[in-house]
Amino acid sequence: MLLLLILLPLAAAILVPFLGKRQVWGVALLGTLLPLIAGMVIWLSLGIDWRSSNGDISSLNQTIPWMPDLGVTIRLGLDSVSGLLVLLTLILGPIMVLCSKTAITERVRTYYGWILVLQAAMTGVFCARDLIFFYICFEFTLIPMFVLISLYGSTNRKAAAIKFFLYTFTGSIIALAGLVYIAWFHASKTGTWSFDLDVMKTAARSMPASTQWWLFLALMLGFAVKVPLFPLHTWLPLAHTEAPTAGSVVLAGVLLKLGTYAIYALAIPMLPAGAILFTPLLAVLAIIGFVAIGLVCWVQTDVKKLVAYSSVAHLGVCMLGMFALNPTGLQGSILYMINHGLSTGALFLLIGMMYERHHTRSMLEIGGLAKRMPIWATFMVFFAMASVGLPGLNGFVSEFMCLFGAWQASDTWLGSHFVAGTPGYLGPWYAVIAGVGMVVGAMYTLLMVGKVVWGPLKLPHDDHGHGHGDSHGGHDAAHAGSLPADLTGREIITLLPLAGLCLFLGLYPKPVLQAIDQSTQSTHKLILDARQTVRALEGGPIIPPMPASNNAAPADGAEMENAR
Amino acid sequence: MDTTMTMSMLPTLVLAQGPVPELVPGITLFHYLAVSGIMFVLGLIGFLTRRNLIVMFLCTELMFQAAGIALIAFGRFHLNHTGEAFVIFVLTVAAAEAALALALVVLLFRRKETLDGSVWTSMKG
Amino acid sequence: MMMDQMMSSLSPSFAPVWSLALSGGGGGGGEGGSALGVLASLKEVPLSAMVWLIPGLPLLGALLAGLCAVLKVRSKLPAWLMVLCLAGSFAVTFWMYQQVAATGGSTFAVVHLFDWINFNWAPGKAFVANFSLYVDPLTCLWMLFVTGLAACIALYASEYMSHDVGPGYCRFFFAFGLFVFSMACLVMGDNLLLLYLGWEGVGLCSYLLIGYFYQKPSAVAAAKKAFILNRIGDLGLALAIMLIFVKFGTIEYAKLWPMLTQYLQMAAAGQFDQIPTSVQLIAVLLTLAAFGKSAQLPLYVWLPDAMEGPTPVSALIHAATMVTAGVYLIARTLPLFQISVAPLAGLEGTWFGFVSQISALEIVAYGGGLTALLAATIGMAQFDIKRIMAYSTVSQLGFMFAGLGVLASYGAAFHVFTHAFFKATLFLACGAVMHGFAGQLDLRKLSGVMWMKGWLIVGLAMLVGCLNLAGVPFTAGYFSKDVILAEAFSVGHFRPLAWILLFTALLTAYYTFRVFFRVFVGPKHYEPGDELHAHDDHGHDHGHGDKHDHGHDAKGHDAKAHFHPHPPGWAINTVLALLAIASIAAAFAYPTYFVKGLVDTSTAQVAAGAAGHTHVGGATIFGYDPHKAMYYISGIVGAVGIITAFFLHYLGRRTAATSAADNLNLGALQRAAQNKWYVDEFYNFTIRLPLKVLSHIFHMLDKLVVDGLVNLAGLLPRAGGAGLRPSQSGVLHGYAVAMAAGIGVLGLVALLALR
Repeated sequence: MLLLLILLPLAAAILVPFLGKRQVWGVALLGTLLPLIAGMVIWLSLGIDWRSSNGDISSLNQTIPWMPDLGVTIRLGLDSVSGLLVLLTLILGPIMVLCSKTAITERVRTYYGWILVLQAAMTGVFCARDLIFFYICFEFTLIPMFVLISLYGSTNRKAAAIKFFLYTFTGSIIALAGLVYIAWFHASKTGTWSFDLDVMKTAARSMPASTQWWLFLALMLGFAVKVPLFPLHTWLPLAHTEAPTAGSVVLAGVLLKLGTYAIYALAIPMLPAGAILFTPLLAVLAIIGFVAIGLVCWVQTDVKKLVAYSSVAHLGVCMLGMFALNPTGLQGSILYMINHGLSTGALFLLIGMMYERHHTRSMLEIGGLAKRMPIWATFMVFFAMASVGLPGLNGFVSEFMCLFGAWQASDTWLGSHFVAGTPGYLGPWYAVIAGVGMVVGAMYTLLMVGKVVWGPLKLPHDDHGHGHGDSHGGHDAAHAGSLPADLTGREIITLLPLAGLCLFLGLYPKPVLQAIDQSTQSTHKLILDARQTVRALEGGPIIPPMPASNNAAPADGAEMENAR
Repeated sequence: MDTTMTMSMLPTLVLAQGPVPELVPGITLFHYLAVSGIMFVLGLIGFLTRRNLIVMFLCTELMFQAAGIALIAFGRFHLNHTGEAFVIFVLTVAAAEAALALALVVLLFRRKETLDGSVWTSMKG
Repeated sequence: MMMDQMMSSLSPSFAPVWSLALSGGGGGGGEGGSALGVLASLKEVPLSAMVWLIPGLPLLGALLAGLCAVLKVRSKLPAWLMVLCLAGSFAVTFWMYQQVAATGGSTFAVVHLFDWINFNWAPGKAFVANFSLYVDPLTCLWMLFVTGLAACIALYASEYMSHDVGPGYCRFFFAFGLFVFSMACLVMGDNLLLLYLGWEGVGLCSYLLIGYFYQKPSAVAAAKKAFILNRIGDLGLALAIMLIFVKFGTIEYAKLWPMLTQYLQMAAAGQFDQIPTSVQLIAVLLTLAAFGKSAQLPLYVWLPDAMEGPTPVSALIHAATMVTAGVYLIARTLPLFQISVAPLAGLEGTWFGFVSQISALEIVAYGGGLTALLAATIGMAQFDIKRIMAYSTVSQLGFMFAGLGVLASYGAAFHVFTHAFFKATLFLACGAVMHGFAGQLDLRKLSGVMWMKGWLIVGLAMLVGCLNLAGVPFTAGYFSKDVILAEAFSVGHFRPLAWILLFTALLTAYYTFRVFFRVFVGPKHYEPGDELHAHDDHGHDHGHGDKHDHGHDAKGHDAKAHFHPHPPGWAINTVLALLAIASIAAAFAYPTYFVKGLVDTSTAQVAAGAAGHTHVGGATIFGYDPHKAMYYISGIVGAVGIITAFFLHYLGRRTAATSAADNLNLGALQRAAQNKWYVDEFYNFTIRLPLKVLSHIFHMLDKLVVDGLVNLAGLLPRAGGAGLRPSQSGVLHGYAVAMAAGIGVLGLVALLALR
């Protein structure tokens, strides 16, 4: 069944080059809609009891032998976390196709072909239960994205595409080295090669903490680039700004989640001791990302760049929740992956719709669109609020849980015990400083809304589609005249499912929270077990001693303030 | 090239079929290899010192044939036909190469009206 | 005392059954009862799930307004639907109040609607924040005036916003309904996270409504400012929620109160050092939240700017209801404040040990008192009547906080209640003037409005509002202000605060009647405002202007010459009359203990012996009991203020623009007050500007250092290639020599290795 989800878009991709220009769009839509329907059918037919063991849906497991000598198979499977992310991918698929109908009019076969391949690869990553297949899919997402950016992007697209490719590829290679080391470690112990992720997890956990430290570093270098975590983020604003709308949507919606998913599903369960050893450092980086990059958003003039930077800031919260390493933070983090995909994806869609009409993304040139495009403006305010984390919409639940997870990740504070704290390595100070990011988030989002949506109407001068320099590829302005001032029915249909999901997840996140409950609880248990391993290592030569309790946390907070 | 070295290495080549039958008495593998070596060095010196493209090409042919002699000598020494088969193969290739190379030389000559190889530096990095 | 007797003689006829059981005289809470007060005997009672209609109906109204926008309705339909929904909501609230009153107080009910954020933070241990409603007397008090006023103001707005019939009208009522829904969630939520939902929800609606005239850059800026400053407060609330949960394992009120009894007993026994610092810190964080939402120092600057919104919005959101959410928050969590009155121990030596010197209640009290004074001084020097009202709101909110700080929770809640009515009246009267005189708000350009044809009701309503605000004896505002003042004088160490408040009361009376004497009485004169209509002209509805008396083309000089003020219609007049009567009637809540009964049978009751509330043995003012003396003192103070205004702004005034006050030249002081003490400029210079610079620096660092390192890494291989490039000479012999040499070296290596 799961194979079907991957093969359907792939089949459509193979079909696309042989079609006429007019049929391509329809086939591409079908190629993304069918997997979505199939996914929904799987979902509903299973009638999954989410509270069952580990959230693992064993009835979906599927194994295809590939290279038996090396222990390589194609093993597919889903648990509740990856299942949710597959659903997110499947939902964003048709939206990518829908939003490109008028934006891309040249080289359509190449465009939709690669979009379908991308869709298949992303689904593959979340379905893979085998390292080799996982890695192949993980890397294969790069090629379609590279093509999308370098052929259909805007002015600086070549440089952006190359940077995107090389940066993330370099990271992944390092991660691969770490993963292969784990496989080799397993083989050298048992004599048989296996790349099965479950086997590798068990094998890696038996490593001493010092080895885990190195391996975790390697894995994080790869995955954190993809996330992207603070100092490794510079490819993202560039890639986002240059990518075509569908590219930005899928980049924010799913591709970034590959990194966070890999950390949650691979790095932490494989190397829990390593995760513990890196906790305060990664949390500090995440907070810098949230607050400092948030401030960087505030001084942008390009709307798309602003939203791109805000992605970095938002994923900072996601990582903070993840490295709280307790159920609250982990659940918040997973929820954040989905929520960020929905709300930021929608923001990119909206910016794309604006760009298609007015051919500018600069807040200096455009403003007050509420007058001209009231429907667009309504959606814009809605998704901006979702992104700011307004309670009742999706962003709030996850943001609150991530910050609360960080707060809860400590037993004591100011000399008294927490009734509802978990033994952990962060604490209130982390949440307090990260909380500043909430205010900053409101500052830059409202700045954008205030400039673009509100205010007196301001349109760029060359607003009729001719005589502007960077028209090329699909972004040619010549046909934009056919679009009405406000959104078309197609565009509204593109946005409505996202808006509905934002509202649903904001008001009733319970199904999702229940689904991921078991998974996060068992991850937390791994962490608790690994604490013993880490304790044995404390004071060792490689790793600086861990803060045993939260006493050291204020110092970290102070350092961070100085650093800023 | 260093004869004493080559001599000392020879005894390690032991044959399964017994002693090597000598076609011309007194002439051993060593002599064939010596001729081959001398031919190769001559070709090399020619290749390095001359500027004329045709002469340089001839020198490479000389080095080629030196290798061929060595191969046949080894084939004889090992009492099998591997070396000869290889040389025939190499000769075929060399013939094709010669045709191609001479054609190229003619083309180059037509471009600059000279056979001096040092005037061509367009591959400079 | 004579007045006291008169009051108590009124009580039996009006008082709800349970208020008779209350002990105590006029004013001040906390006499009698155990250390735990109501908490000791709090019991849960069942309540019909019908109460979901209270937030539900406004939400329905909002959705219907949204539907009207989708269906392109171009009539007043959304307004009527909204008035109906809100009236229904008010009816249900009243029914709820009767249910609660029938139980006799000290009870609460929890009505579960559906699960919201509900997850396990550890195996088997849940974080629960559901969509559940918590109903107790305090909830009833707040919801009664919220829904009641909302219904009235919706009716008023149906006429006031009539210029905008069309998409703008729908947008207005959508946000209006959403606001009442959010406010209901805020007040009725059974846990702090649902309160937070309402808290940010009302912030959003406030943002949308302040920015209603979105084509005005000042309105957009004001909306943004309001949201962001509120966000700072919201952060405090979010952190407080986290701290409460980790300390007590719950954020549901019903489960939280029992956890506090132990600490309350410690506080009553004076053992503050036994209460953990982190527990005491909760109240400080909550204070930050309340100060943000209720516009107190240092976060008050957004509220005056919020007057950019349509006047009904200013009346409902920025005067009567939303801004009192901070008071509600503190009243709701008063038990947490009562255990936070000691100097915070345990923080000494940490890097913010200075906090250890101040208790949460002192922050609340002095924050409120100083805000009251500051806002009153600014209000005195303004010329824009709506802005004067805005500063007066800030100032009155300061009174409420001062009341909470001195633990007069009843006084604060009572002042919220009375203030809601009379301030709404004042704003709506100002709104009627603004509506009729084309946006004119300058008190130098209007005079004698009350005597013009058709404006009498507006003038009378204004007079009622002004009398209340000035604290003229026997008005509602007088009673509620007295309770706070008296309590401030009673609690020993708050004596400086009490004097500040008394002085502020004097200023209040002055600036209130300054407006009244200038604008509503005196010689008749008017100049129309600049915005011949300040309405939301959407792209679609350009045509509709023609249907009205003053269309688009009516702008300009000619229009001004032919301008005729149009007096308010029936909806505005009805609502004004209604609210003026309600403002007067609110005074009866004092002798009947209506508010006191509600507050003192809820958890907002101040437990006896609560720390920081120690009445200094026989605290007196001029030798009398403050509670008795205050009736006279504040009456005199109010009269002095009014008489000053009379002499300065009414007596002998010939034109609208000048008055006797012009002869008073206060120089720099006056200019500074007129410029709002330059607080906005100060914030801009000390916070916003450095932050902007810092952001640019981060942006540069990000581009040059972080990205620069990445580019450098990409540059290294390129540089290496460039270094090796000359080795490719392109000369055939060069390659030949290199090859030969290579073979030679390899041969040599081979030989050496074999040897």
